[in-house]
Amino acid sequence: MSRPFPYAYISCPCADTPVPDPARKRRSRETSHKSNPEDPNAPVPQDYDFEDERTFDPRSPRSNFSLYPPEQLLYCEDCHQIKCPRCITEEIVCWYCPNCLFETPSSMVRSEGNRGHSRCARNCFNCPICTAPLAVTTLENVTGGGSQQGPWVLSCGYCMWTTLDIGVKFDKPTNIRTQLSKMTDSSRGRQMSKTFSDLKSPLSTYSSIDDQFPSPSEMRGDDASPANEQSSGPLNPEARFQALKGFYKSQIASTSSLPNDPLADFGAGFSSPGALNRIMSLYTSSSRLGNLYGGTNKKPKSKPPVMREALTTSEGLRVPAPDAENALIRRMASDDCGWDGMASIEQRTFQSPDARFVEDLLPLPVLLRTKRSKRCKSCKHILVKPEFKPQSTRFRIRLIALSYIPLPTLKPLVPSPFAGLPSVTSGAAPNLDALSPLKTVQLQLTLKNHMFDPVRVTLATPSVTPGRVASKVTILCPQFDIGANSDVWDEALQGSTAPGDARASRSGTLGSTEKVAEAGKVWDKGRNWTTVVLEVVPGTLPGGGATGRNRMKQHYDDNDDDNDDSDADSDVNANALDWSGQTKDPNQQLQPDEDVLEIPVFVRMEWDSENQIDQEQSVGKGQNSDTVKRELAYWMVLGVGRISPEMGF
Amino acid sequence: MTSGSTAYNLDDRRTSVSMSLRHSQSGRPSTPQHHLRSNNSSFASTSSASSSLRGDEDAIVFEFGSRWLRAGFEGDSTPTCVVGCGPEDSRRAGDYRGWLKASLNADTLRPQPVKAEEWTGAYELWKMDVRDVDLGLVEDKIERMFRETYNKYLLTDAGTARLVLVLPSIMPHPLLSSVLSTLFSRWRFPSITLLPSPTMAVAAAGLRSALVIDLGWAETTVTGIYEYREIATKRSTRAMKSLLQETGRFLTRLSSNSSGDADEISVNFEFCEEVVSRFLWCMPQAGDNGSFTSSQSTDSQGGDSEPIGRDITGLSHKTVSIPSPSNPSSNYLEIPFSKLAEPVEKVLFAKGVADCDLDDEEKPVALLAYNTLLQLPPDVRGICMSRIVFVGGGANIPGVRQRVLAEVASIIDQHGWSPVRGKVIEQQRQKLQNLSLNERPTSANNEKDTTPPSPKTSIEKGDQGKRGNEEDEIDPVEEKLRRNRDKDIKPPVQGVLREVESLGPWAGASLVASLKIRSLVEIEREKFLQHGLAGASRDLDTHGHVPDRRSGLRSGGDRSSWTLAGWG
Repeated sequence: MSRPFPYAYISCPCADTPVPDPARKRRSRETSHKSNPEDPNAPVPQDYDFEDERTFDPRSPRSNFSLYPPEQLLYCEDCHQIKCPRCITEEIVCWYCPNCLFETPSSMVRSEGNRGHSRCARNCFNCPICTAPLAVTTLENVTGGGSQQGPWVLSCGYCMWTTLDIGVKFDKPTNIRTQLSKMTDSSRGRQMSKTFSDLKSPLSTYSSIDDQFPSPSEMRGDDASPANEQSSGPLNPEARFQALKGFYKSQIASTSSLPNDPLADFGAGFSSPGALNRIMSLYTSSSRLGNLYGGTNKKPKSKPPVMREALTTSEGLRVPAPDAENALIRRMASDDCGWDGMASIEQRTFQSPDARFVEDLLPLPVLLRTKRSKRCKSCKHILVKPEFKPQSTRFRIRLIALSYIPLPTLKPLVPSPFAGLPSVTSGAAPNLDALSPLKTVQLQLTLKNHMFDPVRVTLATPSVTPGRVASKVTILCPQFDIGANSDVWDEALQGSTAPGDARASRSGTLGSTEKVAEAGKVWDKGRNWTTVVLEVVPGTLPGGGATGRNRMKQHYDDNDDDNDDSDADSDVNANALDWSGQTKDPNQQLQPDEDVLEIPVFVRMEWDSENQIDQEQSVGKGQNSDTVKRELAYWMVLGVGRISPEMGF
Repeated sequence: MTSGSTAYNLDDRRTSVSMSLRHSQSGRPSTPQHHLRSNNSSFASTSSASSSLRGDEDAIVFEFGSRWLRAGFEGDSTPTCVVGCGPEDSRRAGDYRGWLKASLNADTLRPQPVKAEEWTGAYELWKMDVRDVDLGLVEDKIERMFRETYNKYLLTDAGTARLVLVLPSIMPHPLLSSVLSTLFSRWRFPSITLLPSPTMAVAAAGLRSALVIDLGWAETTVTGIYEYREIATKRSTRAMKSLLQETGRFLTRLSSNSSGDADEISVNFEFCEEVVSRFLWCMPQAGDNGSFTSSQSTDSQGGDSEPIGRDITGLSHKTVSIPSPSNPSSNYLEIPFSKLAEPVEKVLFAKGVADCDLDDEEKPVALLAYNTLLQLPPDVRGICMSRIVFVGGGANIPGVRQRVLAEVASIIDQHGWSPVRGKVIEQQRQKLQNLSLNERPTSANNEKDTTPPSPKTSIEKGDQGKRGNEEDEIDPVEEKLRRNRDKDIKPPVQGVLREVESLGPWAGASLVASLKIRSLVEIEREKFLQHGLAGASRDLDTHGHVPDRRSGLRSGGDRSSWTLAGWG
C-alpha cells in the first residue's frame, strides 16, 4: 500500500447493500457456486442472505471500492450512518477554472461548442505535450516602440513547446480561445492535407437543411463522384459530423412529412420500407434498388420517399484516399518523426481522433473544475455544502465522519527491556516494512472520540486473518469506553493523570513506566481517547518451501531497503495485479500485496446521544425522550505492515 | 426534512438571483439551443443552478467497451472524454502508488513475468465470458468510472439527463443487467436508451447499409448491416487483446534473450500499448504491393500506386528507435521497422498458419470479412461490399484497412462468391476457363503468391469481366426502366470493394440522439426497478415492429412494455 504503515481504512457499510435487482439474487448465488472453492483469489461468495456472518476480507478485489481513509468519509445525521462517495449524490454548485479561478456560469459551460464543454473559455491552456500550463507571450521579433504589438504565442515553460511549433500565432493577447477555435478548422485542414498530400481545400460548405432536393447537377454519375470527393477534400471530424447531421435532418424532413402516409408518425421517416407492397414495388421497378439508394425527388405518388444515404462529401460521406495509410506509414518511418514524433496515448486522449503525430496536437483549454454539494443518497440530507465563490475554500456545511466515529490510530508498542514476554527479545521498534513471520508484535490501537458523548466500543476481529497468509490476531481488551470530547480544560483541570496532549502522554507513559499489556485491561486512557493493545503473530508467506521465489524476493528487498518499499513493489504489481479475480494460480506465486498484514476489525459503538436541537436533526421516528440510544457498526482495516519472506531469528 | 426543505428554498432563491444576474450580464436570457438551465424548482430537489427539466437537457452518451469508456454529450462529434480501465483505477481511495511510480527505482526494477492472460486481464472492465467474472466487481468498477467521469469531465449532475448507452450488439444478460441496475440504483436516470454499436457506426458514416469491421479489444466482429439491421455477424478472437499480448511477447523477447516461458510477458503493459498505438503498422499484401485499386481510384492514382508500394516495401529496411522495453525511460533500442509489422501480420492476418489449422473462432480478419459477405444475400452483399466501415482500436493501425481490403479482393478474385473449395472444383473451373480463352488468363497464377501478377491489370480485368457479365444479364425491360430513371437518379455504388470512413459508434449515437430519434430499447427507470431485465417483453410479434427488431431504431409502437430488441 502506498500509505506508510501503519494505517487504518474504514469500510463504508453501503458495501453490504446489494444493488436492488429482483433478478439478481438468484444470479449471484449461481455465480458464487461456480467459483472454485479452492481458488484463494476467488471472490467471496456474495450470498447476501448471510452477509452479517461474513468476515470482511480486505484482500477481496471488491473491498478496494468500499475502503476509504477515515478522513474521506462523511456522516449523515439523519440516517446515523457513515457515507462514502458511493452513497451520496452530488450537485454542482459552481464551475471554475483551476488556472485563473474565474467562475464560469452554467450557461457557458455547455454552450462553448464541441471540445469546449467544461473547459476554460479564457486564456488558460495546457501544453499538449506535457500538460503544463501555457503562458501567453509575445514574439520578440518586434523591437522598438511597438514591442507589445507583436504576434502572440502560447508557450510552455516546462518543455519549451510553443504554438509556433504548429504554426499558430495570435493577433491579440486576449480571447485566445476564440481565436484558436477560429483557426483550428483551417489549421487542422492544413495539417491533414500535409498528410494526404493530394487534398486541397480543408472545409467545404455542407448542405443546409433547405437543401432537400439536390439539383441534378449535384447528382453526378457513379464515375464522377469519386473525383468530386477527392477534389473537395475531407472534412475534419467536427465539420463532417455537422454535415452528417444536416444531411440526416434534411432527409428526415423530406421523408417524414407526407400527409397521406399511414405511418406518418415521427419514427416512420427513419424506418426503411417495411410494408410488403413497398418492397414489391421496389423489386418490380428496379433490380438495382435505384430508388432506394438514389435520390428521392422523382417518385411515383404511391411510393413514400425513402431515406437515402449520404452520397457526397458535403453530406458527410468520406471515402478515404487509397494511399492515405501508406502516407501515414511513410511518415511514421521517416527520420524526422521517430518515437517522440508520435503522440502518445495520453497526449491523444483529448485531441481530435485524427491526431497521430505530435504536430497534430493543439493546445488544450484547461478543464474546468466544480464545487459540489453532497447529499445523503437515501434521505437527501445535505452533507457538504461549499461556499459558492471559487476562491473560497470554506464550507457552509460539512459533516465529516471523523467528528462522529472514533479516529483509529495504530502504533507499534515498543516493549520495555524488562518486559516479561519471552518472544520479545529486542527493545527496538519492529520494522513494519519487514515483519518477521511468527514473531509476536504488539500494537497500540488508539481510538479518539470526537463526539460530545461518551462511547462504548466493542471491537471484534477474526482470530486468524483471512487469506492465505494467516496471521493470528488478539485484541487484548475488546470492550472499552471512550470519554466524551468535552472541553479541553476539563482534562487539564483533572490533574496529573493525563497531561494535556494525548500524544505527549502516550510517549511519556511509554518512556517512564514498565507496563505489560494484560488481557482485559485497557492500556491507556485519556480524556477522549482510549488505547488498547493488539497482539499479532504474522503468518508465514505461502511458498515457504519455494526458495527460488524467496531468494528472488529477498534479493529484491536487499536491493532497495533504503527506498520506500511500497514504491518499489508497486512497479512489480503494476503488471501482476489481477483485479478481476480470475487467477487460477498455483499457490506458489505470491499475489501482489499478499504479504501486507491487514487486520479486519469490526467496530461497534454505542452511545446515548441527547436529542440535540441545535444540531439540525430532522423529526425522526422514536426521538421523544431526551436521550436516544445510538449504535453504529462498521468494518475497519488496520494495515500493520509487510511481512518479510525470510524468517527472523 | 422540514429544515432541509427550507434550506432548499433558500438555495433556490439564491441561485435564481445569481442566475438572473448572469443572464443580465450575458444579455440573452434564454437561448433555446443553448439549453440554459432554467431555474425550475418543480423538478429539482437539487439546489444547483444546473437543475432543469429533463427534456431540456442534452442526453449523455456513453459507449462501453471492454477497455475504454467514452462519454460525452449528444450532438458532439467526439466524446468529451475517453476513460480507460486499469489496475490504477481499481485501487483504494487514497492509494496513490500510481503517482509514485514515476520515481527512480521503478525503472531499475524489472517487472516480473506474468502470464499473458493475466497481463491483459487487469486492464479489462469485463470479459464477455461471464463464467468467472465477479459481477459485483464489475458493478463497482462501473460505478466508480461513471462517478469520476461525471465529476471530472462531464461536469454535470449525474442522473438528471437522459442516458444513452452504446453497447456491443451481443451482450451477456448478466452483464447487461449489472450495468443497468448499477446505473439505475446509483443515480436517478429517468431512462436509459440502448443503441447497438455496429449500427451506430454505420449511421456515423452516413450510410444505411454497410459491412462493419470492428477490430475491438477482445474480438473482431464483422457485421453486415442492411438498412440499419444487422443481417449477419461473424466474430474472431484475432483482435487487439491478442495483438497486445503478441507485442508484449515480442518486446519481452527483445528485452531478454533468454526467454523462459513462452507465454510470459515481462514488459510494462502501458509501454506495450504505447508501442502498439504509436508504431505498429501493417504491410501491404504480399505480392500485391498494397495498391488496392477499387473502381473509384482513377487512372492517375493507379499509376501512383506502384511507386508507393515500392516505397513501403523499401521502408522495411529502415530502423526506428523505440525505448528499450526493459528500461523505457532511459535507453533506446534500434529495431527494424519491418519488425513492427510482424505482430499485426501474425495476429490479425494469421500469417504462416494454414487455413485448415484455423479454428472457427480464430479466422483472420480478411477471411472473416469475406465469409460475412458470403453469408449475405447477393443484393445485400453488393451493397455492403462497397460500404466497408472500419471501427475499433485496430482500425487505427496504419495499413490494416488497405490490407484487409486487398486480401478480401484477392479472395474474391480467387474463389469468387462461392463457398465451395477443393481441388476438383479448381480443376473444373480451370476447364471452364480454358474453354473461354479470353477470360482471366492470369487467375491460375493468382493462386500462388510466389509469382505476383501485376495487380493493376488483373483487377482491371476482373472489373471488366464483372462488368461484362453484368451487361450480359441485363434484360431489355430493366434497360428501359433504368434509362427512364438514370436522368435524375444516381445509382448506388455497389459490387465493388470500397471503404467508407465512419466517425465511430459514439459519434453515431450522438448523432442519432441529437436528432431525437428514439431507440427501440428505451428502458424506463420504474419499469426496470420493478422487474429487472426479466420485465422486458420477449414477445416481439405483438408489438408490430418485428421488421425493425434488429435495427435498434424504433418506429413507433406502444410504450407500455419495453423490449431488449436485439439484446433480448
